[in-house]
Amino acid sequence: MKSLLLLSGLGVGAMVAELINIKRFLFPLVCLGLIATIGVSIYDWNTDIHLFNNMLRLDNFALLFTASLSLITLLWLIGAKKYIETETSISDKYALTMFTLLGAFIMVSYNNFTMLFIGIEILSISLYVLAGSKKNDLFSNEAALKYFLMGSFATGFLLFGIALIYGVTGSFHIDVVGEYCRANAGNIPTMFVAAIVLIIVGLAFKVSAAPFHFWAPDVYTGSPTMVASFMITVVKTAAIVAFLRLFFAAFGYIPGTWQAIISVITVLTMYIGNVTAVFQQNVKRMLAYSGVAHAGYLLIALVALTNLSGGAIFYYTLVYSIATLMAFHILYIVSDNKNEGVGFEAFNGLAKRNPLMALGITVSMLSLAGIPPLAGFFGKYYVFTAALEAGRYKLVILAVIASLISVYYYFKIIIAAYYHKSNKAPIELSPAHRFLYIASIFLLLFLALAPDFLIRWAK
Amino acid sequence: MTKLVALVPILPLLGFVIVGLGGKKLSKSLSGWIASGVVLISFVVSLILFFHLNQNSEQEVSIKLFDWIAAGRFSADLTLMVDPLTSIFLLVITGVGFLIHLYSIGYMHDDEGHNKFFSYLNLFVFFMLLLVMGSNFLVMYVGWEGVGLCSYLLIGFWHKNNSYNNAAKKAFIVNRIGDLGFLLGMFLIYVTFGSLNYSEVFSQAKFYVSDEPVLIAITLLLFVGAVGKSAQLPLYTWLPDAMAGPTPVSALIHAATMVTAGIYMVARSNILYTLAPTSLHIVALIGVITAVFAATIGLLQNDIKKVLAYSTVSQLGYMFLALGMGAYTTAVFHVVTHAFFKALLFLGAGSVIHAMGGEQDIRKMGGLKSHLPTTYLTFLIGTIAISGIPPFAGFFSKDEILAHAFAHNKIFWLLGLGGSVLTAFYMFRLLYLTFFGSFRGTHHQQQHLHESPKSITIPLIVLAALSVVGGFIGLPEAFHTKHLLKSFLSPVFADSDLRMLPAEITHATEYALMALAIIIVIVVVLLARNKYVVKGELPLQDGAPMTALPKLIAHKYYVDEIYDSFIVKPLHWIGTIFYRFMDIQVIDALVNFVGKATVWSSDRVRLIQTGKIGYYVFVMVLSVALLLLYISY
Amino acid sequence: MEQQIVAQTLYGIPLNAYILLSAVLFSIGVLGVLYRRNIIIILMCIELMLNAVNLLMAAFGAFRGDSNGQIFVFFIMAVAAAEVAVGLAILVMIYRNTKNTDIDNMSKLKW
Repeated sequence: MKSLLLLSGLGVGAMVAELINIKRFLFPLVCLGLIATIGVSIYDWNTDIHLFNNMLRLDNFALLFTASLSLITLLWLIGAKKYIETETSISDKYALTMFTLLGAFIMVSYNNFTMLFIGIEILSISLYVLAGSKKNDLFSNEAALKYFLMGSFATGFLLFGIALIYGVTGSFHIDVVGEYCRANAGNIPTMFVAAIVLIIVGLAFKVSAAPFHFWAPDVYTGSPTMVASFMITVVKTAAIVAFLRLFFAAFGYIPGTWQAIISVITVLTMYIGNVTAVFQQNVKRMLAYSGVAHAGYLLIALVALTNLSGGAIFYYTLVYSIATLMAFHILYIVSDNKNEGVGFEAFNGLAKRNPLMALGITVSMLSLAGIPPLAGFFGKYYVFTAALEAGRYKLVILAVIASLISVYYYFKIIIAAYYHKSNKAPIELSPAHRFLYIASIFLLLFLALAPDFLIRWAK
Repeated sequence: MTKLVALVPILPLLGFVIVGLGGKKLSKSLSGWIASGVVLISFVVSLILFFHLNQNSEQEVSIKLFDWIAAGRFSADLTLMVDPLTSIFLLVITGVGFLIHLYSIGYMHDDEGHNKFFSYLNLFVFFMLLLVMGSNFLVMYVGWEGVGLCSYLLIGFWHKNNSYNNAAKKAFIVNRIGDLGFLLGMFLIYVTFGSLNYSEVFSQAKFYVSDEPVLIAITLLLFVGAVGKSAQLPLYTWLPDAMAGPTPVSALIHAATMVTAGIYMVARSNILYTLAPTSLHIVALIGVITAVFAATIGLLQNDIKKVLAYSTVSQLGYMFLALGMGAYTTAVFHVVTHAFFKALLFLGAGSVIHAMGGEQDIRKMGGLKSHLPTTYLTFLIGTIAISGIPPFAGFFSKDEILAHAFAHNKIFWLLGLGGSVLTAFYMFRLLYLTFFGSFRGTHHQQQHLHESPKSITIPLIVLAALSVVGGFIGLPEAFHTKHLLKSFLSPVFADSDLRMLPAEITHATEYALMALAIIIVIVVVLLARNKYVVKGELPLQDGAPMTALPKLIAHKYYVDEIYDSFIVKPLHWIGTIFYRFMDIQVIDALVNFVGKATVWSSDRVRLIQTGKIGYYVFVMVLSVALLLLYISY
Repeated sequence: MEQQIVAQTLYGIPLNAYILLSAVLFSIGVLGVLYRRNIIIILMCIELMLNAVNLLMAAFGAFRGDSNGQIFVFFIMAVAAAEVAVGLAILVMIYRNTKNTDIDNMSKLKW
């Protein structure tokens, strides 16, 4: 409750700041707010608060993600300050960011379909605007339109599914639905299964899982680079957690049909994401497809749905977000603020132009590719362990092959950074960016040294 | 007290990070002092821990840093612990390590890679500390690989010279063979005992019957690792080549610390070895053969560092001989004294090389006594210590080994005695050729002869002092004094000592053995003096005709050549065949095909992303329809 | 009196008829999104889909005698209004830049 109020307050406050002209205090204010939400998550630890007639439930699992989402947003904000403040409508962007995060918070702590719907919509509507925030850029326009049209379309399916579930069980509460599933496990009406399918479609759209991923590469490429990085990390995390919460509490009692469906979706997502990324010449688009592929790995933990899944997804999303954010931040600087993205040649000679950035992109790519000893390796390791425990051997084998493909395109950037020459001038980094890279590299190494340190909280 | 434990390895790591990241921005002297300072503080902390252990009945101090990996049944945590055995190694690593850091400040002063060198040294110290402080085999393995990596980096430190690079590669590859043994041994431990933690493994092992096959297998596999790391037959060949590294590296890594990791490992798992007498016998056999074998090669080497390298291999052989007879304390004792005098000898050799402007061939030295008085005196002390002349450090530890050998197996004793005679001869040969007689180098070199600066001579003096008194921590029981080291280490080896047959010999015999050893060594020293000082003989020039045996020895028994023609060349040959046929025609083709197929399919698959919203929506609806169709069946 | 008659008439229609009607409405909305090219009409079709859901929710709520369904309908209506506001704003922005509201025009981001 405290963090929800805090975020709404910050969002409204940011809009008011435009009126009374205190915009320059917004950045520290928002940073403090994010630190405060992390603090609140820690403060509320182990209290299991039920809000709004049990429609929201801030259990430890939710708090874990509110903390990690705040951390990711904080890391994002430090790097994105330049983007936010060099263009028009500064306070709007701060406000929309806060509202997006608010939506994400609701998505990780909902206990009722109403809240799921509201959370998704708060998050999405803010992002529709952010995606189109470069008003005169045709790519940004197109991204906003695609995201908006397809997003609302997918919401329609989600809502239809929710309506059907309400029709069968008579309630929007996840607990009641779960109770219904357990009581009627052997005797589920087709209408209910159809409802599950429609909900899967709605949520799979949000995590950008194939074949509902088509919006993702286009929207990520067209949106301003910094907005894309926010979407690809925060939104994906929130969506996969929403997925997991629902299936853990309710549909987990009736595996079978939906597991088969999500298995197929998982494999498709991993392969379409990884294979398409191989040919991409535009780094931003390559990262977008890599984001699609990672959604596939995350879904593996969902298919497994064991007690390890929660921890695995928590660790994976955190590590993935840190690595992806660092890659986008570096890309943003390397591409000289060009929105449509740049090719691999922009990374040429980065090792000479700025060794820290070259190191950062290397660590980030290696982590995304899952090369030990970086944290990304342990992320995959935990996801795969969860799947193996559930006996999903084929899925793991397919996932390992898919991640081998990914090495190809991740290494293209590293090779460009270290082996190709460039005569461009060295890059000077601001202290904030330098801090960001060092912190991210440290986190990726530290989390690899002590994966259990985090996983323990998720149990 | 437990917090202090964590400090010991973290400080050198911190030093590595600061000096490593600081790069060229740190001035040379600052980075040198930072690197030495952190090791010094580690040493002080180690001392505190040592006294704490010495005074309290506590058997170990440990701190759990964090759970490292926990997946399913397997778990390993990063726990650091200090027990008497670790404590001794800590003192050696940080103490001798600090002196060598100090020495390096002077020695590496003009090197352009100065800061890099110090960061590597700190990193090495960190990994070495991790190796001895871990409380399970996995942490030991991490340290084990880490020191191997640092050794590789430092041997090839002057990487512009290609043969140095090859030496580094050789060290790395040969060590990998040993590491494989260690790794397999570790797996087998896990399979057998279900854990890698020392406490759990060793407490379970106690209930095994002696010479259980699985114990023999585990101990032999671990020993393969030790053979690689500690340069024993047949994997010793990398160590002499490793002398390509800067001299402080040879002193720290290839004499005092890293190469004794194998001894530490066997001593740490002493209970496993005690319960596998067959393995112990093999350890002793390999040890004694290496001791004599390497000593004979040392007789005819002409490179000052190579002589010392073979001497190190030989001395390590003695340590394994001691381990093989179950005399774990004695082995640790020899590790300590050897660290003192061998570090001293290497640093002294470094001082000589420094003065000679990089010359390492003793045939071109001579008469340096008057030019380098401090170096000479300390080198003399080191030589006396290694030769086993009382009351210097080497005498007591070597005598203890020989006494054990006498009680255990007379042949081992005879071989050991022979080896120590050879040691005395080649060490004094080295001393005489280097410091006595007349100068044989170029005129230019003679002009530049000078005593080294303080930062070089001070470590020499300290180490010399330690080489003199270091033996007193383990006075033989025949002297009716307390064996300090033995009583300190007794908790670690208690379980083994219970199971070992006491190999006591009477004090009279022990006195007789000592007297015999001393007399023979002194005779040999006099012989060497007669040959090299009085007669002024010089070693033959390269390529001069020799009789069969000296020729064989001078060529190091052709071991490198044998390995080359029987292992390396056939492997190369098979490799070439595999490369030409399998690799290019099959694998490469396959890989290329897979790669091309991926790129090709990527090119096709991406076309499904048409960019048209109508199409995207259509695919979505189609998928939904298919899914609904699927569930309605 | 009259209200009761209306209610009785409503209950007189079986639930399945409501489900069928909203399914048909929903499908018309989906097909509209699929076949129409003008962005404004597509927006309206999406609204149709949402209204089909509203009808379904209300019907389920009425037949179960439970108010939750109807309350959800209000949420959907509020959110849909917000969504349309944003959607129309995006449309205006695009129209300013391209003078066009044809959806096929927006396909520069591809492959």
